[in-house]
Amino acid sequence: MGKLGRIGLGQRAGNDAASGLSRRGFLMAAVGAGVMFGFPAARAAQQFPAAGLPGDGAFEPTIWCAIAPDGTITVNIIRAEMGQHIGTALARIIADEMNADWAHVKINYVDTDPKWGLMVTGGSWSVWMTWDVFRQAGAAARVALTDAGAALLGVPASQCTTRDGMVIAGTKSIGYGDIVARAHPARSFTPDELARLPLKPAADRHLIGNHDLKALDIPAKTNGTAIYGIDARVEGMVYARPRMPPTRYGSRVRSVDDAAARAVKGYQRYLVIEDPSQIVQGWVLAIADTYTAAIRAADLLKVDWTPGETVNVSEKDVIDHGRAQIDRKDGGVMVFDDKGVDSTFAAAASTFSQDYTCASVLHYQLEPTNALAFEKDGIFEIHAGNQWQSLILPSLAKALQRPEKSIVLRSYLLGGGFGRRLNGDYMVPAALAAKALGKPVKLVLTRSDDMQFDSFRSPSIQRIRVAFDANKAITAMEYHAAAGWPTEVMAAAFMEKGVDGKPYDQFAIAGGDHWYEVGPLRVRALSNDLANRTFRPGWLRSVSPGWTSWGLESSWDEIAHLQGRDPVQFRLDHLTGAGRNKGEAPNSTGGALRQAAVIRRVAEKAGWGRALPKDTALGIASTFGQERGMPTWVACAAQVHVDRATGIVRCRKLTLVVDAGTIVDPDGARAQTEGAALWGLSMALFEGSEIVGGLPRDRNLDTYTPLRIADVPEMDIEFIASTEKPTGLGEPGTTPIAPAIGNAIFNAVGVRLRHLPIRPADVLRALKEKGSSTV
Amino acid sequence: MIGRTAIIRIVAAAAGLGALAGAGFLAYAIHPAIAPIAPPAITRFAPDSVARGRILAAGGYCAECHTRRDGHPGVPLAGDYAMATPFGTIYSSNITPDAATGIGTWSLAAFTRAMRYGVSRDGANLFPAFPFDHFTHMTDGDIADVYAYLMTQKPVHSVKRENTLPFPFDLRLLQAGWKLLFLHPGAYTPDPAHDAQWNRGAYLAEGLSHCSACHTPRNAMGAERAGAPYDGAPVDNWIAPPLNATNPTPVTWTENEFFQYLRYGVAPLHGSAAGPMSPVIHGGLSEMPESDVRAIAHYLADIDHADARRPGDAGHLAAAMASSTRDLTTPLTSDPDARLYQGACSACHANTGAQPVLGRPELALNNALWLDEPTNLYQVILRGIGTEEGQPGITMPSFYHALTDADLARLAAYLRRTRTTLPPWTDLEKKAAAVRATLPAPPVAASH
Amino acid sequence: MTSFRLNGHDVSVDVPEDTPLLWVIRDEIGLTGTKFGCGIGMCGACTVHVGGRATRSCITPVSAVQGADITTIEGLDPAGNHPVQEAWRDLQVPQCGYCQSGQIMQVASLLKDYPQPTDQDIDAVMGGSLCRCMTYIRIRDAIRKAAATAAGGETSNG
Ligand code: FES
Ligand code: FES
Repeated sequence: MGKLGRIGLGQRAGNDAASGLSRRGFLMAAVGAGVMFGFPAARAAQQFPAAGLPGDGAFEPTIWCAIAPDGTITVNIIRAEMGQHIGTALARIIADEMNADWAHVKINYVDTDPKWGLMVTGGSWSVWMTWDVFRQAGAAARVALTDAGAALLGVPASQCTTRDGMVIAGTKSIGYGDIVARAHPARSFTPDELARLPLKPAADRHLIGNHDLKALDIPAKTNGTAIYGIDARVEGMVYARPRMPPTRYGSRVRSVDDAAARAVKGYQRYLVIEDPSQIVQGWVLAIADTYTAAIRAADLLKVDWTPGETVNVSEKDVIDHGRAQIDRKDGGVMVFDDKGVDSTFAAAASTFSQDYTCASVLHYQLEPTNALAFEKDGIFEIHAGNQWQSLILPSLAKALQRPEKSIVLRSYLLGGGFGRRLNGDYMVPAALAAKALGKPVKLVLTRSDDMQFDSFRSPSIQRIRVAFDANKAITAMEYHAAAGWPTEVMAAAFMEKGVDGKPYDQFAIAGGDHWYEVGPLRVRALSNDLANRTFRPGWLRSVSPGWTSWGLESSWDEIAHLQGRDPVQFRLDHLTGAGRNKGEAPNSTGGALRQAAVIRRVAEKAGWGRALPKDTALGIASTFGQERGMPTWVACAAQVHVDRATGIVRCRKLTLVVDAGTIVDPDGARAQTEGAALWGLSMALFEGSEIVGGLPRDRNLDTYTPLRIADVPEMDIEFIASTEKPTGLGEPGTTPIAPAIGNAIFNAVGVRLRHLPIRPADVLRALKEKGSSTV
Repeated sequence: MIGRTAIIRIVAAAAGLGALAGAGFLAYAIHPAIAPIAPPAITRFAPDSVARGRILAAGGYCAECHTRRDGHPGVPLAGDYAMATPFGTIYSSNITPDAATGIGTWSLAAFTRAMRYGVSRDGANLFPAFPFDHFTHMTDGDIADVYAYLMTQKPVHSVKRENTLPFPFDLRLLQAGWKLLFLHPGAYTPDPAHDAQWNRGAYLAEGLSHCSACHTPRNAMGAERAGAPYDGAPVDNWIAPPLNATNPTPVTWTENEFFQYLRYGVAPLHGSAAGPMSPVIHGGLSEMPESDVRAIAHYLADIDHADARRPGDAGHLAAAMASSTRDLTTPLTSDPDARLYQGACSACHANTGAQPVLGRPELALNNALWLDEPTNLYQVILRGIGTEEGQPGITMPSFYHALTDADLARLAAYLRRTRTTLPPWTDLEKKAAAVRATLPAPPVAASH
Repeated sequence: MTSFRLNGHDVSVDVPEDTPLLWVIRDEIGLTGTKFGCGIGMCGACTVHVGGRATRSCITPVSAVQGADITTIEGLDPAGNHPVQEAWRDLQVPQCGYCQSGQIMQVASLLKDYPQPTDQDIDAVMGGSLCRCMTYIRIRDAIRKAAATAAGGETSNG
């Protein structure tokens, strides 16, 4: 599983894709009263970057970059910029391969256009997916410029080299810009030609892995000029805010009374959204001149709904339903189902079986979801930050009942993605409102709207069963997990097929299909249909490995302790790199042995085995990041202290060792790993919601309590030096944290927690039970 | 605002007067009209008298109660300020020199009688919403200066709305009985046991600036309780804290603290002036000479026995400061209440030094946490403080839409538990709802 | 009509007096560097300076800032080179960047109260500023760096 073949399709380095839409040339008028109050016209175009287009006379060897006569190199970025500095990372790849001068590189975040192929930013895929494409595109530029430059210099191309944006032959040289200006190169490449181009050896790279480069998106993020979706404006737009229905699905509006809302200055009207795509159901929008009026008016609308059938569903209902699904032998999809699992269990000398659960987790991306929509010159434009344009476009076409090619999504910076904006559902009501009103509509969800409407991380339950022989050796394993399936609900065509031929959501089971040698292994994925009916399960930073690792890596420690084995050595003994775990080039070269290597290194760095103060201990956990098809090998040692009186667990230090192949952007890689690990810590100890009455209970920070600055432990992060193909980094740091913490708690005070998040009350209860059981 | 409290006593007085009758009472109750005069020309008043009067009028907060604030704001001193009571609403009178609707036809004698005895020019008893029980202690000269100031203002034609007090509370005659019991007319006589500064402070605090009108609890008749001066009292849905030795804050209200507070709106070791106290300072005392404000501070510091209490201050201050960042720094709590405080409050209220930073009020030192009820804490959280209130130029936002009553209750309980040594407050959520209900309109239309 | 100074300009706005300052700044005046995160004063994304002090604009009614002196991220430094902004770029603090205007404004104010902030100062004051990308390690380092720069600057000036 997990090769992502289908998803990886669609990007080719060529320039042969048909362009369905004219290149972006629109400018939005700066509205608002900035000028009136003596401010310089705040911004002409409310979009980032202000000027990313190459201009006339530029040479475009592929669709991915253009070299202008002045030497400026514009790199087209189809990925969403949401904090990973992805534009900079990808531009490094192409610019490095073409031996460009970094000072001349600009990035251009593009709007949707069929020529870009699949537009998705998630799964920690961006660098991994773009690596080959951009190296080829860079090579194409280099070759084309070298040939043209050689002609201008009057020497054979074979005598030329390239460096710092110049073609050089002996003492003569010419800059790329001059080549474009004088030779007007127009060469293009077929996919076959691209595939045959020579690529630079790793040793010659000057931008990939360079520690000194700064992210191109950062300066604008320090002075207020960075433009996010929520900042998009267009003349004549009205504001909309929803009045949220009592259930995510199936609520029907019976009546709306806006008598009170009409007293709000600036309120225009309400709108009941009828969505042919059925993505939003039961929404009523308050439409107003200003956003504050829309907020007020929406509060004052009296809406009578017939609620959907899930109006009484609770978190416990969902988990219990999952448990019942696991209890049944039938159902679900087999991801692995090796021969001999049942017979080995039947013959086992002893077995281990434990359930692990995780609570709902909300995205709380800091920029609430929003979209600006309007029709202009026959094109429906939607201005918003989004992570999976290719997924929402067909839905928008269905909702608006117009052809997909007449809709364009304009790209903006994202005030946080974390998977929330993979699901573009928030664009639909904005678009429908703009269509109904015949004018631009800016829809902004308040935080409580946003949290209620979140595609949150499903509650989950896992069951891990292990068979042992008389020598306590592991002879077989079963891994079952039930949760809501985001991909089934939102992108069914992308699901993979199990060994039984049935489709399953690879993102809701990844992590369970581990690299440990355990004899025959069964991995069964179950779609929790009650979860799927109650809410729209979401992809949330690291998706299933954020919770499958919790079960799996907790269970490894549990078993090690049962057997009196050292948890580090116990893992290493089972990471043999044999059979299917030996890995495949280029994505998982080395296989489980690379996982063993990061574990060894983290144990060494963290001082595994050394004495620590009372009630303080290290815990270890290791994962392969997101998926077998693109493993990022991660190991974490967490040092925690448990206060026996209050049950408060304090994480003092996280040590992480990561092998993600070639590190393209070292500082960005570190930043992503810092953020991901702290997300892991936050979900382990601080945040977690609960479904109450069919909806997430928490609606804002008064009750939802993600990690804040004072919770941050000391961190030590190391990347394994490697020239393997780069894998993902946005999420993998998240995955080992919770089990490392859980294992550390056990090592510190001897209690085992099997539910996330770990609250002080849970620790206290466990300590009490342990106390009474040992008396 | 100050006047609104006074309504309680009017109502109580009216209710209690049924038994009072007889010739003596009537003699007390019935006053002749004083003949109207032609509105005097401005030139008849000495400019220095007018100037003194302007300051005195500020120090007596005339404009606070004689300016309409609801609906469309009125002209200063033109009256029609609505004082809501459970029994109805009283509207203040126009005290600009308009002949038809104001005091343009009042002679100095008529004005002086009103200030000293609570009697209108036409002979009617004034409701003691008008604090003549304090103004009576002013000197003739000061009253004349206030008169000079008012009579030289621009006359404004303004008819106030009709009071909505039902019978018998509307009977002005009955107010006479209240006066019989509680009015001690006559100018202040200096206490020879104290120095001039103390006596000046007492004169201002007890007379013109009528501090105890808000800070002394009322008896069943709505008059200030003789045995409990400055014990603190509810006012306008706030609590006017005790100004005597029963004030519960950990650090003493010293003369300097009082002075800073009354002069600039913020006492470094206590906090800033909010609610009804804010206009007292920014609309009133700020106009007075510094020496007068210092005199009031000197007098109040004597009332609260500051000198006797101060020795404990260093220890109390240290304890309060030590609690300021509790739960905010590692090891960090997972207590959801502490995390609520961390998110909503600590950015502005956490102090790490030995003393609070100015503009960073330390809650552990603030009256709001140490009073018997969470009223003031809730008021401030719900309303916020504007840049023209409290410490001028800075603002505290309004959490009206941000926090639910349950959130408010959690915050209040948490702060009381972690920042004071006092027993917990009770019924916190209910009280939060009650305070919220006293706000006429949400201060801010934020999202939630 | 409410009047105040914004980044050194006199402005008057005719909006309902309970309008949050945030939306006045963003939508009426058109300065969008100040962000909307939680809307309840608990994330800090909307932080501006009122009278020099960090203030949550999302729950500050415009009527409360009559006559006030307000600074937004756009006005913190004319060239965007406030020591805090420089430290932010040097240490590559922002990820998505959405919280960072608020973080920077909060830090600029923190450094006025505590020019050489300790970890305790940072924890206590910055605890109200949520960064969902969890850039906290760098925020902490950049605060120290900005403080050191400011202290160095003072020495060399003096
Ligand atoms: S948006 Fe104002 S504090 Fe969160
Ligand atoms: S940088 Fe994204 S929220 Fe802070």
